[in-house]
Amino acid sequence: MSNQPHILVIDDEHQILRALRTILTGRQFRVSIAATGEEGLALAAASQPDAIILDLSLPDMDGVTVCKRLREWTHTPIIVLSVRDSEQDKVQALDSGADDYLTKPFGIDELLARIRVALRHAAARGSANKRTVVTAGPLVIDLAQHLVRRDGEEVKLTATEFKLLAYLASNAGRVLTHLSILSHVWDPADADHVEYLRVFVHQLRKKLEDDPVQPRFILSEPGIGYRFMAGD
Amino acid sequence: MQRRLFYFLLSIVITAIVTAGLLVIRDQMEIATVALLYLLPVGTSAALGGLSPGILAALTAFFSLNYFFLPPYGTLMVHQSQDILVLIVFLVLAVSISQLVGRMTNSLATARARENETARLYELSLALSRLHREPDLLTNLAQQTLETFQAEQVEVFTEGEPQPGLIRLPEASSRGNSLSEQPTILVSMQGRQRLLGEIRLWRTGWTLSPSEERLLRTYASQGVLALERARLAANESRARILEESDRMKSALLSSVSHELRTPLATIKAAVTSLRSEDVAWEAEARRDLLAAIEEETDHLNQLVGNLLNMSRIEAGALQLNRRWNVLAEIAAPATKRARLAGPNHRIELDIPEDLPLVYVDDVLMEHVFNNLLSNSLKYSPSNSIIKITAGLQDEQNVWVQVDNQGPAVLEADLKKIFDKFHRVTAADQITGTGLGLSICKGIVEANQGSIWAENLEHGFAIRFTLPTQAEGVNPRIPNE
Repeated sequence: MSNQPHILVIDDEHQILRALRTILTGRQFRVSIAATGEEGLALAAASQPDAIILDLSLPDMDGVTVCKRLREWTHTPIIVLSVRDSEQDKVQALDSGADDYLTKPFGIDELLARIRVALRHAAARGSANKRTVVTAGPLVIDLAQHLVRRDGEEVKLTATEFKLLAYLASNAGRVLTHLSILSHVWDPADADHVEYLRVFVHQLRKKLEDDPVQPRFILSEPGIGYRFMAGD
Repeated sequence: MQRRLFYFLLSIVITAIVTAGLLVIRDQMEIATVALLYLLPVGTSAALGGLSPGILAALTAFFSLNYFFLPPYGTLMVHQSQDILVLIVFLVLAVSISQLVGRMTNSLATARARENETARLYELSLALSRLHREPDLLTNLAQQTLETFQAEQVEVFTEGEPQPGLIRLPEASSRGNSLSEQPTILVSMQGRQRLLGEIRLWRTGWTLSPSEERLLRTYASQGVLALERARLAANESRARILEESDRMKSALLSSVSHELRTPLATIKAAVTSLRSEDVAWEAEARRDLLAAIEEETDHLNQLVGNLLNMSRIEAGALQLNRRWNVLAEIAAPATKRARLAGPNHRIELDIPEDLPLVYVDDVLMEHVFNNLLSNSLKYSPSNSIIKITAGLQDEQNVWVQVDNQGPAVLEADLKKIFDKFHRVTAADQITGTGLGLSICKGIVEANQGSIWAENLEHGFAIRFTLPTQAEGVNPRIPNE
């Protein structure tokens, strides 16, 4: 078999299916398509794809349910698609195990970036030696040593600030919901205190970003959460 | 009842007093004079109490005259035939006087009662004609009925439309317990086509006289008239609103279809050009066409988003997800987008570092900034400055201002620009659905803020406020 990554696209709109199949095949992916939730679940079980692109509005079942059913047996990355103004659905899907989301209409570069991040994280999960150093522009974050350097100089962070940055950076490229960050960095009981996040993210940006108002590394995803952008 | 009893007693008392007075001077009086003087209590009683007390006084006087003043005294016997004549003449005279005077008094009382009735009715119809809302109408009707009939309790019950209604006065009827289940009288309110409801009246002690009952029925029919008028008016205004909303919808539809077609036309033209095999496009031309397609697609996407928001605001179905947010974080992506869309403008974002968190729906507020910036780009000249600034308004609010160096807006239009489809310039000069500002208003107000427009010395500004408290409470932030 080839080592081309295998992508399963579950969407009920044939135009989207046709476009994605053409585009992704052109980018050297193997592509399977399904038009309903049931068909998608069956195909996922049968063909074990490397990543799944899942539209949240399907004719036969709720996309969030598909997410949950997939997560019962597989860690395969799931990227959900949905229209604008349904942030709640996206958050629900993300909190039910989806790895990332894209809002329709989206640019294909965005989709490819999401797929790459998802595949990389899946690979990292499988391998024993996890990445302990994350770089982003002038930033070097050493997760093991609890050390952050900016242009080679150490940046002093408080314990909570570091915990927050470490969680974001170790999931670089992926969106993390407010709920997931709050319950991971603080406590599940604090999961609805978005104000904590606002304040601490603001502090982090002041210490790490060139322009805290137009951040490059810690990005806000309105209504959803935050995303750390690694690389250069 | 009690009043009548009082007049009967009075007529007896007056006759008794006159008798007592005459008895003292019985020996010096001619029988004819006595009889004449006895006409006094008869006339008085009839004048005060009406016919029946008058007759009673006449009979009492007749017997008193016979018993005390015609020999033999102390009996009802009469010996002299002349005395019999006096007695008979007296009786006839007394009765006729009391009849005459009594009738006059009675008709005077009736006339007064009629006048009172008319005045009450006038008052009622005047009061009802001033009211337009159904509950006000019914309450007023109940109140007037309660007062006019001196009732213990009045209920006005209405059928249907949309639910049955019941107005009970006095409202907290503590005496309600002592009242019987059944009202003293129940008058139905019969409308032209169907029964509209009924008036129920409780009055302890005395029943309603026929004239009172008649008056109550008149009250009921006045109520019916007022009710039917109010319902007719309500239907009419509902029809007007529907018509208005219909007009709005068709205006929206025409404006929107025009707006949607413009980017579609560009996209279609660009795509068909690129597909055409007749021309070998230069790389640069291809890039231009593709850039146009992408721009117009984003434009379409924003349009559809605005339409969706508008319909949600209209339907009162805007789903708010209010949370604590950093204002600058919301404004930044919109600013970035505007800088891409308007490279010929300078767009400045100047929000103080220490501004408190705002309690808003960040996704919707981003639409507000998008709309305000896209308006500024449209209406202000190239190479001018567009600025977003903010500050503390008071303890519970921050203010935000988006200003540009565009032309001033007529004072009279400053409020109107937030109306749907309102455009400052002629429709064909600048594209847009005229929905942007009305969406901003809807979203800001849903987030408990207020929004207004101002002319600046050299430009134009939209200002709005946003809350820094959630239900009167500031956000709680952990120290570490």
